[in-house]
Amino acid sequence: MQAFDYKFQKFEPLKSFKKAPELEVYVPGHRTCAGCGPALNYRLVAKAAGKETIFIGPTGCMYVANSSYLCTPYACSWIHAQITNGGAVASGIEAAFKVLARKGKHTGAFPNVIVMAGDGGTVDIGLQAMSAMMYRNHKVLFLCYDNESYANTGIQTSPTTPYGAATTFTPPGKEIPEGKVLFPKDPPQLVIGGHPAVKYVATTTVAHPLDLMNKVRKALTYEGPTFLHMLAPCPKGWLFDEKLTREMARLAVETGMWSMYEWEDGVYKYTNVPKKYKPVSEYMKHQGRFAHLKPEHIAKMQAFIDERVKAVKERVAIPIPTPKQTA
Amino acid sequence: MAKEQMMTGCRAAAEGAKAAEVEVICSYPIRPYTAIMMELSKMVANGELNAEFVHGEGEHAQVSVVLGACASGARAFTGSSGVGVTYAMEVYSPMAGGRYPAQMSIADRTLDPPGDFGSEHTDAMSTRDQGWLLGWACSPQEVYDNTLIAYRVGEDHRVMLPQMVCQDGYFISHIPDKVTLGDQSQVKEFLPPYRPIGPLSTTHPVSHGPQIRPDQGAPMDAMRAQTFLAVPKVIEEATADFNRIFGRNYDPFVEQYKLEDAEIAFFIQGAHANTCRSSVDRLRSQGVKAGMARLRWVRPWPTHQLANALGHVKAVGVIETSTSYGGAMRGGNLIHELRASLYDLDERPLVTSFMGGLGGETIWPKDFDYMAKVLLQAVKEKKIRTYVQWLGM
Repeated sequence: MQAFDYKFQKFEPLKSFKKAPELEVYVPGHRTCAGCGPALNYRLVAKAAGKETIFIGPTGCMYVANSSYLCTPYACSWIHAQITNGGAVASGIEAAFKVLARKGKHTGAFPNVIVMAGDGGTVDIGLQAMSAMMYRNHKVLFLCYDNESYANTGIQTSPTTPYGAATTFTPPGKEIPEGKVLFPKDPPQLVIGGHPAVKYVATTTVAHPLDLMNKVRKALTYEGPTFLHMLAPCPKGWLFDEKLTREMARLAVETGMWSMYEWEDGVYKYTNVPKKYKPVSEYMKHQGRFAHLKPEHIAKMQAFIDERVKAVKERVAIPIPTPKQTA
Repeated sequence: MAKEQMMTGCRAAAEGAKAAEVEVICSYPIRPYTAIMMELSKMVANGELNAEFVHGEGEHAQVSVVLGACASGARAFTGSSGVGVTYAMEVYSPMAGGRYPAQMSIADRTLDPPGDFGSEHTDAMSTRDQGWLLGWACSPQEVYDNTLIAYRVGEDHRVMLPQMVCQDGYFISHIPDKVTLGDQSQVKEFLPPYRPIGPLSTTHPVSHGPQIRPDQGAPMDAMRAQTFLAVPKVIEEATADFNRIFGRNYDPFVEQYKLEDAEIAFFIQGAHANTCRSSVDRLRSQGVKAGMARLRWVRPWPTHQLANALGHVKAVGVIETSTSYGGAMRGGNLIHELRASLYDLDERPLVTSFMGGLGGETIWPKDFDYMAKVLLQAVKEKKIRTYVQWLGM
């Protein structure tokens, strides 16, 4: 293929939160719950990306609670995808703009193509389409707003729901006292582990808005696929006071329940690593979904997290080599 | 005018897509339609076609990719066979409901189990209520022609609907036949560029496919039903233009072969119509007034055209190449809609059906002789003995 200038957009990092663009691209008018983490997440992502963006919204909270006919909150172009196929619809959009640009039918800047998928639409029913898009080297940012459940359908367990959480499909009972017995999937590691076209993966939370916006902007400067995993606490699903949404995300980082990092072409860079991790009980005690747990269950969770945070140091020291990006 | 060449139905579909200058193609391998994508991938690799060739990870993704492409304003093309067609089922209604006029080229194959490569129309027929335009060719030439006609109809602003262009696996998809390709000026005169309505854009923000309230659903469904009422006129115009520009002689909806004075008629779609036609000739040489009506479009269903074409016949035998287990007529799909189409006539033909060509079996001339015998008997007895019979069993 001959080289062609597709006019990909360029983004500089924001020096401070005050320097963020004033323009809101995700505007009021939606019907999300009070304290909704994913809605805050959406607003920050849209602000960072700007209006020359096309959002792909697979079915989930951010479809159902946002996109009321004739009053959607998107000030840029947006398209619904099935919960199954966010990555595939995005691939088609990116491919279309590439060929239309080559034929002179699209002349402006290349759109930021961003999939805004929930955890189910990313690593459960949407995994196949997400992975294939990553593999095929489309210029698409796939973003997982992780509220750790199928929240829109009434809080059912998803692959990122933590061990011990009560959901409407994992109710604690006499036979199964801890509710959810499985440990969660690790979305960024799934992406990093098997997609040579991907050169940038990062994690962040809604409690770190400047970090979040800069990771979006950095991801959008890559000419290939990128992935962001964002912790977006859900007051209704996790059963905490709705004014504590950001506090929950902050505590997740402070207890090691969530790690903040960037992975750039094989090299890990961790940020916000606490000098000493707080016990996970500090995080869990605010959330009704963990209220039924006995000390032995919390100890099991602590052991899991203790193992996981070990990787923080190891990964900084031992970068994983990956092939250079082509095309 | 280009000269006649020998080519398979798969190659003809690829030539049709190339002539239409499709812009985004999404592939996934499954026999027998695969050869369409093999041809197109060569055209893209050689630089004969300026298109994005996306290797989908399955048929569900194929339809999803062309949905995204079509929503962005690109002419998009995909295809499948058999269980691949049904694997994509979720995405058919968003395609049609979103009014994205992409095209899917189907080379029919049986559904599982057990695994069988043979042709059978159940794959694409099972999508007939998803709001797509749907029709069958009976020769590689018609595959090429239908590829262009379907884009023209589907992309018409009075229509804006996706299209399934079907051909029988192997009988059409893999047996070469004479095909005359159009030249560039003919294609240009017939098929204008795709003009999307409200595509995804960086300068004119749009929202595609938001949530609605229950009370908003029925009016939208009614609009789609209304659209389908307008499609026949568009098909008629497009077919007339196609016949004029390319020098063909298609009836828009129903090929009518020796029906004028027919006493009995076969009602059929797809490849087996070729055997049917020669069987009609043979039966006529034996003094049987036989004829054939071949369906070109299943959606929209040509209700009145069929009533006009078949109303005067005494008995019709529907040749069913798809299954409708537990259906009203206990066999296939077409008989239900044909009977409904004839119901309001003052005097209507007797209608029975024959399951044939299932699993990729050939429907032989002797089968047509047998079916003629059953139909003549029905005429004599003034009633049918059964709704359905299975041929060759």
